[in-house]
Amino acid sequence: MSRPPPSPGERAPLVTDAIPPTLRRGGANQRQVLAICLIGAIVLACLGSRDTPGWAERRGDSWLDHQLRSIAGAWDGAMETLQLTDPHEALRAAMGRALDRRWDE
Amino acid sequence: MLFPTLDFLVFFLVVAAALAALDRHFPQKKALLVAASYFFYAQWDWRFCFLLAGSTTISYVAGLSIGGSNDPARRRLVLVLGVALHLGILGIFKYLDFLVSSANQLARLLGLQHELPFFEVLLPVGISFFTFHGISYITDVYRGDVRVCRAPLDMALYMSFFPQLVAGPIVRAAYFLPQLAHPSREPIPVAAALLLILGGMVKKVIIANYLATGLVDPVFAAPEQYGGPDLLLATYAYAVQIYCDFSAYTDIAIAVAALCGFRFPRNFNQPYRALRLREFWQRWHISLSTWLRDYLYKPLGGNRHGRLKTYRNLMITMLLGGIWHGAAWKFVMWGALHGGGLAVERMAYPWLGQRPQSRFGKIVSWFVVFHFVCLAWIFFRAEDFTVARVFIGGLAQGWRDPVQQAQPAMVALILAGMAGQFLPPGSFERVGRWFGRAPYWSLGAATGLLLAAINALGPEGIAPFIYFRF
Repeated sequence: MSRPPPSPGERAPLVTDAIPPTLRRGGANQRQVLAICLIGAIVLACLGSRDTPGWAERRGDSWLDHQLRSIAGAWDGAMETLQLTDPHEALRAAMGRALDRRWDE
Repeated sequence: MLFPTLDFLVFFLVVAAALAALDRHFPQKKALLVAASYFFYAQWDWRFCFLLAGSTTISYVAGLSIGGSNDPARRRLVLVLGVALHLGILGIFKYLDFLVSSANQLARLLGLQHELPFFEVLLPVGISFFTFHGISYITDVYRGDVRVCRAPLDMALYMSFFPQLVAGPIVRAAYFLPQLAHPSREPIPVAAALLLILGGMVKKVIIANYLATGLVDPVFAAPEQYGGPDLLLATYAYAVQIYCDFSAYTDIAIAVAALCGFRFPRNFNQPYRALRLREFWQRWHISLSTWLRDYLYKPLGGNRHGRLKTYRNLMITMLLGGIWHGAAWKFVMWGALHGGGLAVERMAYPWLGQRPQSRFGKIVSWFVVFHFVCLAWIFFRAEDFTVARVFIGGLAQGWRDPVQQAQPAMVALILAGMAGQFLPPGSFERVGRWFGRAPYWSLGAATGLLLAAINALGPEGIAPFIYFRF
């Protein structure tokens, strides 16, 4: 069901919705959105753990930041043991090589 | 707190959990979003929350006063006062030191001894955006285009909603406030939102970041050290960088708003495929260009009072649009170039037509418009006029010098950024429909996987978005 139309006295501005109506037909509810975000965050935490120690370092110097640093370090170590950091390192190395290419090589 | 960071992911997970818990309680959901928005804004400087609250109060009270009066003179007075207060706040925080600096330069030119002291006012992030929100609301109430907002919570959410708070898009009251009147029963377009996030991350983390650090920043820092090829490619690179940077922010803002259950307007539509400068402004930062059209160009008279006044109105609108971007003469120059370009283009309509017809005409027209936009970007990006002059002068020199910065990866990123401008219409819908067929749990896993890949391909740490400083 769509939103109610604008009432008299309200003029809808002439703007286009960023997400077109064809993509609004199917969708999720707020709980499914939360589930999607959590699943995505878990996958990201597993495969993107290499950057978490650096993120924790940049945060600051409070007690909480120190705790976060040790958790991030331990988490990254655990992911490394499971070899889940390999794809990250392979992609970053490939990008590094691409950036280092010169016209005269 | 920048969008493509772990801090924002944690923040949004907490907000999403609270929204899921409050799914059927719309007033509480709005209160939660206001609290989350103020928390988000306080991450830059908590003191600016008072400024945001003050700006909200001005808009709310002015709206009530205009809506509660039938006296045209009183309504007009409140409109003028409300707009003046908003502009006064913007002027103090954004333009005071610029005005002092300009006055001091003028005094030196005139041989005067006294100099005004600087106030060194800290620029609150996003002030230009929430000021424009407030002005649009008061003006729309005055014009009768939107109902008076009597719920303070709705007004607070309209002014502070975190996805658009610091860098837009500029969402009109007539577009957003009706969404706060009733809870939406539409499903959340999660596949489209996740696609926008992924596309935005590619544009910001990979294209904009590498072009900035690898080509644009070093070449614009010392243009005299580079030959023509490096300077030309740095110009193209900046055009791609600023598009990818800003459109990435608005894509992610649109997606985050959608995941919270709200609609945002489109802000970019492949601007670098424009065949006329006017068309460029119908495709670039659409929420700002339509704002300037409706609240500045049309009230000045638009194109209703003859050709000369139309050119004057175009010039004033673009000059003010330029200075909206920042308190510096280089932005005035950028606005003047666009204003002048739009006026000249309008003058030439009798010979050129509003749109080229032949294939050759389209290619020539695209080439001219794109390079004019790039020329204007040089002033926008350069530190000052001296750097811009050296840069433009250097474009014609050193074409036999070896290329230093514009190496193959940089050229590939420029081409990738430009390729996105020429995708056929409907591409986003086609990919979105295909993506949306997957079960929702697999959408989450696929998004996590792709975000991890984008993160690995990008540099560690994220540069702030360009439009944060506006």
